[in-house]
This record gives sequence, C-alpha cells and structure tokens, in this order.
Amino acid sequence: MALTDALRSVGRGGLFSLSVLRASKPTADFFAELVREIYKIGARSLPIIAVGGAFVGLSLTLLGFRALETYGASNQVSVLIGLGLYRELAPVLTALLFVGRAGSSIAAELGLMRATDQITALALMAIDPVAKAVAPRFWAAVLTVPLLVGFFATFAIAASWFQAVQVLGIDNGMFWQTMKDAVDFRDDFVPAFVKAAVFGGTAALVASYVGYHAEPTIEGTSVATTRAVVNASLLVLMFNFVLSAFLFR
Amino acid sequence: MATRGPRLELAVGAFLVLALGSLLVLAIASTNGKFGFSRDSYALTARFTNLGQLRPNAPVKIGGVTIGRVAKIDLDPVKFDSIVTLAIDERFNDIPIDTSAGILTGGLLGESYIGLQPGGDVEVFKPGEEIAYTTPAVDLIQMVGKYMFGGGNSPTPAAPDNAHPAPAATPAPEEGTTP
Repeated sequence: MALTDALRSVGRGGLFSLSVLRASKPTADFFAELVREIYKIGARSLPIIAVGGAFVGLSLTLLGFRALETYGASNQVSVLIGLGLYRELAPVLTALLFVGRAGSSIAAELGLMRATDQITALALMAIDPVAKAVAPRFWAAVLTVPLLVGFFATFAIAASWFQAVQVLGIDNGMFWQTMKDAVDFRDDFVPAFVKAAVFGGTAALVASYVGYHAEPTIEGTSVATTRAVVNASLLVLMFNFVLSAFLFR
Repeated sequence: MATRGPRLELAVGAFLVLALGSLLVLAIASTNGKFGFSRDSYALTARFTNLGQLRPNAPVKIGGVTIGRVAKIDLDPVKFDSIVTLAIDERFNDIPIDTSAGILTGGLLGESYIGLQPGGDVEVFKPGEEIAYTTPAVDLIQMVGKYMFGGGNSPTPAAPDNAHPAPAATPAPEEGTTP
C-alpha cells in the first residue's frame, strides 16, 4: 500500500526527529562536535552563499528596474530588493544552497558510517549514535543557516547597490532610504531568520534521517545523498509557503 | 579525528563574529529600525465614511512627520462608519481637541496615510478620545468619472459642481469603475 507506506515513513521521520531532540544534551562532547559541525557545514558554506547572494542581488536589481520603469518608479527598486530578499529569496535560496552544499555531505557521511558499521559500533560501545553523530549536525544547521542568510542578504544588497547606484544610476540616498522605509524590522527582517532556522533544521533532519537509515552499501549511500537533496529541497519550498502564509498575513 | 584544534576554533570564531556583525549592519542599514521594544503610545479613534486604501500600520502624520500608526480598523455595525484606532507616540500628547483628521495619499498612486491638521484649542486629546472632524478618503476614479460624465450615474443634480475634493463624502453609487 502506497499510502500506508508514505504514512509510515512520515511517522518514522517524526520519531527520528523526536529522538534527535531527546539526544541533545549539552555535554562537553556535544559542544566539541557542535563547533566542528558549525565549521564544516556553516563556515565552509560561506563562499557559495556569498557568490550566490551577490548574483541574485545583481539579477534581481535588473528585473526590478525593468518592471518599475514601466511606472516611472525605477528609483524605488530597493524596496523590491529589501522586501523580496528578506521575505522570500534570502531564506529560501540560502536553504537550497545549504541543502546542496551541506545536506548532501551530512547524508553521505551518515550513509558511509552506516555502510562501514560505525553506527553499530557506536551503539555497541554504549554511545548513542544519534547523540554523537546527528544531534550536533542538527543544531549546527539550526544555528548557522540564519547566519548564512545574513551573509546572503549582505552580499545581495551590496551587489544590488553596485548595480543600482553605480551602473543604473539610481541616487545613493534614495536607494538606502526607500529600503529603510519599506523594510519593517519586526514584520520583514526577523521572519527571515525564523524561516532560516526552520529551514536549517528541516534540511539537517531530512539529510541525517535519510543518511542514518541508508542501505548499508555504497549504492545505498549514493541513493541516500540524492534523496536527501531532493526531499530536503522540496520540504524547504513547501515549508516556505506555510511559513509565509503564517508570518505575513 | 583530533576534535578541535586552535585553528578550528579560530575559524568558527571568525565565522560567528562576521555573521553577527553582518546581521547588525543589515538590521541598521536596511530596516526601519523599529527594534522589538514598542515605544509607549496612546490611542485615539476617528470615524470615516470611506477609508479608501487605508490599511492597518499606515502612518499617522502631522505636517509630513510620522507621529504614529493606524492600530486597528473596525466597522460600526449600526452606522456603518469605519472606526480607525490610531496609536500616537506618547511624546505627542498635546494634540488640540479641534484637530481634524483626513485620509490622504502620498503622490498620485502612493500609500494612504492619515494626516492630522492641528487646531488651536487649548484643550488637548486625552487617550481614547475620538477625533470629531474627519474627512474621508478621496476616490480618484470616482472623481474622474464625475468630471468626465457630468455627475456620473448619481441622480443628484448638484454633483457636477462638486469640484472640490473636500466634501466628497458622497455615498456615491459604487459603480464608476467600469464605464
């Protein structure tokens, strides 16, 4: 039965998430792992986030300039940049890049640990493999994706400023002031980081769930990596709609 | 797998400092800077026959300077007036009681806001009181329709002379959009 299978996998995902939360105890070992994971999946994702953000900012400025020119309002392009970035683009695109950059590596690592019986070995030594291998990755993702969204937005706005002010000739003061007027701190800015934390957690949970339960073969690892990227990306896009519907009414 | 060497800690530290720094810069440079704490405000109400495009959170201005926000928009279930609750900044608690409120638009197609025209009375509004003198929103499309079609489809003969926007509080038939 396809339906019961689907329901069962949702249930297993939920139980897995619960076990991750239950395994998150602030021990010294947990923090050591957390620092390592923040470096591996957070700091090492910086280049892709920065370059991605910059190019999104550039193209979004061109698009907004073209669309607003119709109404003679092209000097308001930073309204579109600010609102568009904080509300949708920065959290979603950062999360998607994060899924591709870090989610795949989480799934592959855990899949290989499964394939080489390291997870069984940890359990045999009475070390909870979820607490040792999954919980730090989950919390590292929840912490770092909001920070990466900050980088994404910084680079996108800086690139957009270059495109708008230096290339298209919009007034510098106009650029900053219209953005400041349009972007509300509580209604637009903060939700971006709430979204980002949710997306980070989702991406890490999906990736580690898929990797943790991979077939213990080389092929199983590759299947798990693919599935992690596909499922996590789709879930991020779906959750984005749900969060947008709730956060911005 | 040596767990954490000093270089790793350095890298993570630099990452966190940079990230939090960029968040701070973003929050200051690209938002309106209304950080969490809500400044003290008091409420005034005003009744309008027509709100036009006014929405909650629209600014309340005196002479172009924002002094508050539209907190709530409600409809009187008996008189069918809309009741707008304004949250005015506590600093401006000396607004004369004969002040009038109007719904204005920034530019031709800009956002709607409430403009207050201060009066000269010595008595001032106390929190929760109602602004007595109000002018409703001007519906541009209806006005254009009236000019073009000489009174549009309203049966009142005086309509074409209604040149000034101020008394546009007409309960005009809601048609004029598609001729």
